[in-house]
Amino acid sequence: MKVIMSLLFFDMAFWFYLATMLFYFAYWITKKELLGQASTVLAIISTFAIFMMLLFRTKESGHAPFSNLYESMTFFVWVISIAYLIMEFKYKLRVIGAFVMAIAFIAMFATSKLPYRFQDIQPLNPALQSIWFELHVFSAFIGYAGFGIAFGMAIVYLIKARFEERKASNFLIDRLPFSNILDELSYKSIAWGFIFFTLGALVLGAVWANKAWGTYWSWDPKETWSLITWFIYAAYLHARVTRGWRGKKAAYVAVFGFLSTIFLYWGVSFVLPGLHAYASQ
Amino acid sequence: MTASEKNPIVKIIGGKIWGLFGSLKFTLFILFSLAIVSVIGTLLQQNQSLQFYIAEYGSKWTSLILHIGLEDMYHAWWFSMLLVFLVSNIIVCTIDRFPPKWKATLEAKVDVDAKFIKNLTNNHTIALQDEPQAAKEKIFNILHKKRYKIKEANNTEGVSLYASKGMIGRFGSDVVHVSLLLILVGVIVGSIFGFKDSGAFYEGEVTTIPVADFQFGIDKSWHGIPLPKVERQKKASAIQLKLDKFWIDYYETGQIKQYNSVLTVSDDGREVIKGKQIWVNAPLHYKGLTFYQSSYGLAYDRVKEAQFFLQDSKTKKAVGSPFQVDWNMPYDIPGTDYRIKVVSFVSDFAYDPTTKTIYPKSAEHNNPAINVEIYKKDGKPVGSPWLFYNMPELFTQIPGSNYELVFSGYKGIVYTGLSINRDPGTVIVWSGATLMILGCLMAFFIFHKRVWVHVRKGRNETEVHLGGMINKNKFTFEQELLEIVESIRGVKK
Ligand code: HEM
Repeated sequence: MKVIMSLLFFDMAFWFYLATMLFYFAYWITKKELLGQASTVLAIISTFAIFMMLLFRTKESGHAPFSNLYESMTFFVWVISIAYLIMEFKYKLRVIGAFVMAIAFIAMFATSKLPYRFQDIQPLNPALQSIWFELHVFSAFIGYAGFGIAFGMAIVYLIKARFEERKASNFLIDRLPFSNILDELSYKSIAWGFIFFTLGALVLGAVWANKAWGTYWSWDPKETWSLITWFIYAAYLHARVTRGWRGKKAAYVAVFGFLSTIFLYWGVSFVLPGLHAYASQ
Repeated sequence: MTASEKNPIVKIIGGKIWGLFGSLKFTLFILFSLAIVSVIGTLLQQNQSLQFYIAEYGSKWTSLILHIGLEDMYHAWWFSMLLVFLVSNIIVCTIDRFPPKWKATLEAKVDVDAKFIKNLTNNHTIALQDEPQAAKEKIFNILHKKRYKIKEANNTEGVSLYASKGMIGRFGSDVVHVSLLLILVGVIVGSIFGFKDSGAFYEGEVTTIPVADFQFGIDKSWHGIPLPKVERQKKASAIQLKLDKFWIDYYETGQIKQYNSVLTVSDDGREVIKGKQIWVNAPLHYKGLTFYQSSYGLAYDRVKEAQFFLQDSKTKKAVGSPFQVDWNMPYDIPGTDYRIKVVSFVSDFAYDPTTKTIYPKSAEHNNPAINVEIYKKDGKPVGSPWLFYNMPELFTQIPGSNYELVFSGYKGIVYTGLSINRDPGTVIVWSGATLMILGCLMAFFIFHKRVWVHVRKGRNETEVHLGGMINKNKFTFEQELLEIVESIRGVKK
């Protein structure tokens, strides 16, 4: 009976996210205020369902809910939803919800497709039993969520900027926020992401490694990919203040940054060998 | 003339190179290069054996890989060079940009006229009924309430105010850059003065801990140019470590939960830490040394006890039942007048014919062999053969008897693998990391907001010009300026 509760909430959340995404798209297309409000309500319900999933998972497993791919993906979805809701509340730009919720739903979908052995509750191996490990993952995933949102904003920016340049008009594109706003939102998400990523993936990861193995850095593939990702986002920050790189080029860097993040998270686990590979446990 | 042209160092090094290192495009180039090169490092497995690369890539590619240093690329000269470029880039950029930024930030213009304000992107013109002096005071109070620092200047036209806040946000990026340098310093200090060792520890045994001994000198091997050199040697310290106990905890499912060691440390013969339990993620610290639980295994050079039996050398039938013999303890074989003693053991037998020594080829128990001494009960030695667990039929005859001795089993000794580590650089690395986070917070979330106000007497009312600038986050700032304008107009919010 125990395991079922978290899976139940996961399944529920899955359908809620699908509905949320569709509602946001419907709002974008129709611009009906009522649909917009319904989207927001659905987003809140989805976020709550995921929260319940994480809560039950913690209770069932006895440890923080991000010790394997399945749990951490769910956690990512939760963080990105909360971040989005804060953004919506602050900037009142509901249209972009379609893009953020699409990312959240894709993440839910990918998670649900994980082989069962990755969904299973695993007892923590000796190295993972550390508060530093928990803080490390917790903070890194907030970083991933920031990068995820920035990725969405950068894509929308690239579309919108293209239309603005050509002074072309399209009823869907016209409803998107101005490109300078999208650029700013993308920057803001990366700023948040960069801090939590630096703290979580790099600093706390190093603290944990130092506690567990006596070296804070050992160039294992996961660590190296964190560094690669970090270099890309550092490049983004500097591209924004470099003549000739502002705008579109910077947006492409943000897109690359998230592709690197995805590889850091999934690719390294499945493709490259190393200490961190959740998948090889 | 830019700041860099005035700099005397610049003239020596040459403006072109300085210009390159002072450019942000070069920064992007370095960051992307570091990223791409690191990708290669994760695709091509590092620090493997020659055979590995040949098997994987063929000999032609392998020679190329070795030539470029791709098999250990994080220590290759070109990787270090990229880091040196990054550091130089940061230093040059800071020398170029920090002084003018500092000046512009600290010595902002206070005495401005209406025209200056009208040229700002965010500007408002307000007409007030108050007298100029009262209007100025009102505006001063409103800005003051919003935590702006305010300076004022009188001029012929009227009075102008300069209000600013969040100045330190401007220097967040500098803090980040300095922190990055600090982290690299920590890494270098660690690589020079740090040292790492590991060893197998047995329950009850006392081990003297080695530390590094440094010798400073001059190295002229590189084109005869004298370079500082640090030599390290291992030397025994006064610190001794005793393993009291080692054990493994299991989950109900049989998976390993935790490795635990209990350690006692003495220094100069005095017990300083008694019975401290360590496990993975919970090391022991003493005098800058850290002891980590890193592995465990079966001893490769000793056993707790060994099991033997005797058999008739003709019929190959067992004589009597098997018996257990403790390590290094003479044992009388029941029903005979022989006595045996287990004197050495190797887990993976190998023989070196040049030195005529027997040694364990690996720590794995691939080919366990045991060395026993056999005596008559009266103490007269009979022989000291090596017996092989995997080859019970070899060399087993007890000389001058009808017996063969068969090595039929053993109980290994579990050791705990501890890493011992000293890294004086970590403190610097952690300070740098903390500073980096602080710097990022400053750069990303503290905005430098500047507001200029000019108040003058108009024809029949007081004319207020107000404008502002912010280094980023333009949209929220527009909002804030509007709020300020509305409260100046006296609109209640
Ligand atoms: C991995 C290396 C680096 C990191 C992590 C880093 C980090 C940062 C951060 C966080 C900011 C603030 C960005 C913002 O406010 O949006 C920044 C700004 C800046 N960085 Fe870097 N940086 C690095 C390398 C460099 C290098 C090599 C240079 C040399 C040219 C450089 C020059 C600058 C400049 C000029 C700014 C704008 C600062 C300002 O206007 O105050 N950075 N950097």
